[in-house]
Amino acid sequence: MRILLVEDDPGLGAAVRDHMRASGHLADWLTTLADAWAAAGTVGYDLILLDLALPDGAGLGFLARLRGAGQTVPVIILTARDQITDRIAGLNAGADDYLVKPFDLAELGARIGAVSRRHGGNAGPRTVIGGLTVDMAARRITGAQGDIALTQREWVIFEAFLNRPGQVIPKSTLEDQLYSFDAEVESNTIEVYVSRLRKKLGPGVIETQRGLGYRLSAP
Amino acid sequence: MMRWLAFLRPKALRPQTLRWRLALGLALGVLVLGLLVRLAAGRVVAEEMDEVFDSALEQISGRILALVVVELALDGAAASQAQSQLAPQEAYLIYAVRGPDGRILRHTPNADLAPFAQGPVAGFRNDGGYRIYSPGAQPGRYTIEVAEPLDKRREAVEESTRVILASVLLLFPFSVVAMLWFVARALRPVDRLRAEVTARDGHDLRPVTETGLPQELAVIAAEVNQLLARVTRTLEAERAFTTNSAHELRTPIAAALAQTQRLLAEVPPGPLADRAGRVEEALHRLARLSEKLMQLARAEGAGVLMAKAQDMRPVVLAVAEDFRRGGLGARLSVRVPDSGADSRMDPDACAILLRNLIENAARHGAAGQPVVVTLAENGAFWVVNDGPVLPPEVLARLHHRFERGAGTGTGAGAGGGDGAGLGLAIADTIARAAGGELRLHSPARGHLSGFEAEFLPAGCK
Repeated sequence: MRILLVEDDPGLGAAVRDHMRASGHLADWLTTLADAWAAAGTVGYDLILLDLALPDGAGLGFLARLRGAGQTVPVIILTARDQITDRIAGLNAGADDYLVKPFDLAELGARIGAVSRRHGGNAGPRTVIGGLTVDMAARRITGAQGDIALTQREWVIFEAFLNRPGQVIPKSTLEDQLYSFDAEVESNTIEVYVSRLRKKLGPGVIETQRGLGYRLSAP
Repeated sequence: MMRWLAFLRPKALRPQTLRWRLALGLALGVLVLGLLVRLAAGRVVAEEMDEVFDSALEQISGRILALVVVELALDGAAASQAQSQLAPQEAYLIYAVRGPDGRILRHTPNADLAPFAQGPVAGFRNDGGYRIYSPGAQPGRYTIEVAEPLDKRREAVEESTRVILASVLLLFPFSVVAMLWFVARALRPVDRLRAEVTARDGHDLRPVTETGLPQELAVIAAEVNQLLARVTRTLEAERAFTTNSAHELRTPIAAALAQTQRLLAEVPPGPLADRAGRVEEALHRLARLSEKLMQLARAEGAGVLMAKAQDMRPVVLAVAEDFRRGGLGARLSVRVPDSGADSRMDPDACAILLRNLIENAARHGAAGQPVVVTLAENGAFWVVNDGPVLPPEVLARLHHRFERGAGTGTGAGAGGGDGAGLGLAIADTIARAAGGELRLHSPARGHLSGFEAEFLPAGCK
């Protein structure tokens, strides 16, 4: 998943970013709402981790503005405010979850997985696609011949499909998923990864919609 | 004796109350004033009566003198008839008529003439128990002296004075009752203000009503409201400080914990990883303890009652959802009423209270067994978990700070070892601050085992 982390504390921000990357996500870490707004408008993020008290404003205002603009990207609030009124206000403003500092990175990972699955319309950790069983929490794909191993980048692309079931995903969105690996994305990179996925998962799992992008076949 | 009398008197009328002092003072004042006025009136009446009696005495003396002169002129039966008509009617009067030579020619029959021994003196005088009048001796003419016993006059004055005093004394009880009624009515705004001020405490700092009060009390109410506003500002500042402190403390702990966890993930197993693990444990303990201390500061320092009641269901559901997502999952079940559960408790204080009860149940309840939260329509709620029955002496100690019980480690409230020992103390502090009560039951009500923490808001105890 491509995740936008908005956190102004350098120690916490760096640790969360590193944890996200180590978990196979692509994390962009920004420290101001202005930068976050610009990034959210240009990159198709799968999830946003949002601190509430930032140097240039309140995270709740950012969230309300995001929802007002029609963005449905899942948002998890990371905050030091533990009062229930803040929590209710955050959830009412459109947050999908609320995590109070200090938190365990493992719990953050679990919350990200749960929110992401709920957002994709599949609350459980397991998804069945054709003859494949996908455990998103464990990042395990099991086919008729047993477990199927994916590289980190292959998983990132496949996860993008899992989080958008039935949707046609433009090539540019899939490219966004790879940019944070700090590697240059060639013009045919996505075609290469889709081809590899089809070889490992089966030819019918990912459909090509000519001129539009790609789509995961109905589970 | 005095104690017995005090027992008989209603509390509102005890001498230390303003009402009693006012009523007693006014009644005694009216009594003394009434007596003085009546005495003055009696004095005036006595003088007026004296004047009337004197005037009558003067007129009678004239008539008697005329009759005596006629009698002396006729010196016959007609005169005797005139005297006999005079004597019975004026029997209490005595008279003496002197001739031009000063000799007594006529007088009241069988009367003691001692009052006239001095001889005629013009005007009125008192002598020998008589009021004596004479127009005075005039050369070559008859002179009369008339005497009236003073007893008659005293009797009349005393009788009128008695009537006046009796009326004052008779009216006194009625005037006391009227005073009490008037004072009670006049002091009604004082009672209202007193009730409002008494209702205010550290958790209810609403302004008192200023409208409808007399000018003197309105000034006091305004001063009280200014004081309440200052106290409210102070408490709000304290609350803001606690909240900001919490924020300032949590973020560095979160950063330290996250960095430590990254370190643990990146270093290979060995002494460095072990050390990082111990740092992580210490940070967890620090996080829990600071969290509880901040909650305790919040519970003791700020208002936990709101001016208006609000539905507690969203609060309970939000807290429960937090625990579910935080790992309690389906183990936690929540029952809330369909019709709402209004309470004047501050939602954040309510959430802290409930969170501590659920944490206690989850930490010390039987592993894997359900934790059930029930919210009642009156704002009361209780948290039940399974586990062995706790001895009463352990149950009684669980309200205390840093008290973790001495149990088996599996029972509710028993020493699980990883708690700060503050959870139930915080819950108890908040419950009491809200005017309510936290009751602990083991076994849980309606069960043979387990533990139940029951919060009863004010008015439900």
